[in-house]
Amino acid sequence: MIEIRWHSRAGQGAVTGAKGLGDVVSRTGKQVQAFALYGSAKRGAAMRAYNRIDDKPIINHAKFMLPDYVLVIDPALAFTDNITENDKPETKYIITTHLDKKELIAQIPELQDKQDRVYVVDCMQISLDTIGRAIPNAPMLGAFVKVSGMFELEDFLESMKRVLAKFPQKIIDANMAAITRAYNEVN
Amino acid sequence: MAEKMELNDVEVWDGNYAAAQALRQAQVDVVAAYPITPSTPIVENYGAFVANGYIDGEFVMVESEHGAMSTCVGAAAAGGRVATATSSQGFLLMVEVLYQASGMRLPIVLNVVNRALASPLNVRGDHGDMYAGRDSGWIQLDAFNAQEAYDLNFCAFKIAEDINVRLPAMVHQDGFLTSHTAQNVSPLSDDEAYAFIGDYKPVEEMLDFSKAVTYGAQTEEDWHYEHKAKQHRALMDSYVVIDRVFEEFKQKTGREYKRVESYLMEDAEVAIVALGSTVETAIQAAQELRDNEGLKAGVVAPRCFRPFPFNEIRDALADVKAVAVLDRSCPMGAMGALFNEVSAAMYTTPSRPLITNFIYGLGGRDFSLEDAKHIFREQKGHADVGYITTHIQQFSGLRGPKLGFYETKRSK
Amino acid sequence: MKGVLATDRRGVRELGAEELVGWDEVTHGVVLNSFETELENVAHIPPEERPYSDFSSYTATVASWRVIKPVYNRDICIDCQNCWVWCPDTSIISRDKQMLGIDYDHCKGCGVCVEVCPTNPKSLLMFAEAEDPETALSQWPEKKKKEKK
Repeated sequence: MIEIRWHSRAGQGAVTGAKGLGDVVSRTGKQVQAFALYGSAKRGAAMRAYNRIDDKPIINHAKFMLPDYVLVIDPALAFTDNITENDKPETKYIITTHLDKKELIAQIPELQDKQDRVYVVDCMQISLDTIGRAIPNAPMLGAFVKVSGMFELEDFLESMKRVLAKFPQKIIDANMAAITRAYNEVN
Repeated sequence: MAEKMELNDVEVWDGNYAAAQALRQAQVDVVAAYPITPSTPIVENYGAFVANGYIDGEFVMVESEHGAMSTCVGAAAAGGRVATATSSQGFLLMVEVLYQASGMRLPIVLNVVNRALASPLNVRGDHGDMYAGRDSGWIQLDAFNAQEAYDLNFCAFKIAEDINVRLPAMVHQDGFLTSHTAQNVSPLSDDEAYAFIGDYKPVEEMLDFSKAVTYGAQTEEDWHYEHKAKQHRALMDSYVVIDRVFEEFKQKTGREYKRVESYLMEDAEVAIVALGSTVETAIQAAQELRDNEGLKAGVVAPRCFRPFPFNEIRDALADVKAVAVLDRSCPMGAMGALFNEVSAAMYTTPSRPLITNFIYGLGGRDFSLEDAKHIFREQKGHADVGYITTHIQQFSGLRGPKLGFYETKRSK
Repeated sequence: MKGVLATDRRGVRELGAEELVGWDEVTHGVVLNSFETELENVAHIPPEERPYSDFSSYTATVASWRVIKPVYNRDICIDCQNCWVWCPDTSIISRDKQMLGIDYDHCKGCGVCVEVCPTNPKSLLMFAEAEDPETALSQWPEKKKKEKK
């Protein structure tokens, strides 16, 4: 079982990202779960989304998890939200930031002893450059593909194209570019 | 003719979308709805399917949930296949008309995405609304995940529309935990799905002018009682059709449903009885306790909340020593409703296991594997000493001083 | 006297960071007191002088929700009150029909104030949240000339 927790703001696409990831993963024959707890949250409010991935049907419906991956798609949440909550010695962090890894870690005490498990990528800038809007979910998926090593980039892009099939070609292309660039830039 | 939709063998759908797809494949004639969180996407998607030519049906916008169910009653009496969805306060506003629908024996299907009741206002899931419908004369089927929300919609139409039943049916799923949780769902093809429920066969429809009928008559003490008794008898007897439809569904899909689901119960010493997505979390907790602590834990879950499966509950719990019945609704001045019903059933058996009641998960409070394990371990404690060592009613996951009501001591 | 823009009670706590108390300590009937004390003639006390309680959104800040923010340029503003009327979060601070500034504890950065500002150049413009106001003001655009047809 792999558990993933997304830290996001309402409107940044964490739910779509988590569901998109679930959709792609399901095409590899795995069982997936993607959920978010929201409701009256306004655009901009901090929120969390969750994924579970397993080879057998997923029957745990609790929100509580010990995440294997923490994906932070809003730059400020790395500072204000408790991103290390319930983490494990092997939990990997992918954080969107314009800072380099050293600068970021220097500013977040909780990450000091996790340096080798922290990855950074500027999903905001990548989404602005490729998609034209600050929707950092697609680049985060690219970074996750690289860090997790769960998929080959080409296979992931192919599956993602099918997930996005209902959108115009221009949007699909922009998302592919965002995923690819984040895959190459995450470090 | 409605356009067909090509679906993959495995889709990643949340419970709401799964239910909406079922309504599309059932080619529901009329959906009258007043959308409310967290059930909104069901009727929203039905509307989109109609607008995009995937359903030959009509989406009717109304001014309230009372109006929604009233329109459903009218459309069903007129002779159409009718469905809608609601939650929480919307469900409460429908209650008055729920009794009309069942009293008129109209086979409407209502998707209830369970949500807490105000005040305080809360959009998250608990079973307050489901419980408020339990005397309304509807069949109530309960889905524990998105796949089941899809499957049970087809079963609901087929059961409700059966000439020997002709009662409305609710399909319940947990708000957010099921409705907004995307999981692998294996859909049927459009043709398979429609063939399973078949064309709608109207009964005494108002639009058959050659045989004019009146719906909604008044009866006083000279007639009312007999009509209610007949309706109660029909709901009690509907289990025959429910079992048959579940069996036909299994033949078609390989997916098996029972009015009472039992998991890990063959040699279980202690059990949790619950509803909704909690059932699955509890199954995983039971399995982990068996694997790691040798605790023989099992889970029993009414798939069918109404008609209440009195006999099947007795059978399922016949050999356990201690049972925790979980109610995700605050009973306000009483023991939990599911506890009362399970206890009543077990009181009529020779084994009379020790039964306690847990209130939990109100307003969407998380229910974790550890919460479930704690409850199982406590039941094991009761079983070992032979009496209930705690309050009979307790509260799982509640902040503040320990809250509990009633104690008992049963000597051997 | 406290200044109109005083923030000594405004936005003093992060929304959602409240201490979670038990069932025995929550309020009776979910009734929430707006003020810490009883008040006479509250309508005549300016907001910055009212003893708002921790149940009031006045004392909560949601500044962190914002990615971009409006910056206000006093030199161009004509005090038309359009932004005050349109702001969905009552985050334009105006007194006696004079525009004074922005309540950054409650502004979500939606940009409606900029949209409805009629001056040329606008008296309110959106900048990145991290932008320093002095720098923002130094970058203010010139008046746009009407293009001749």
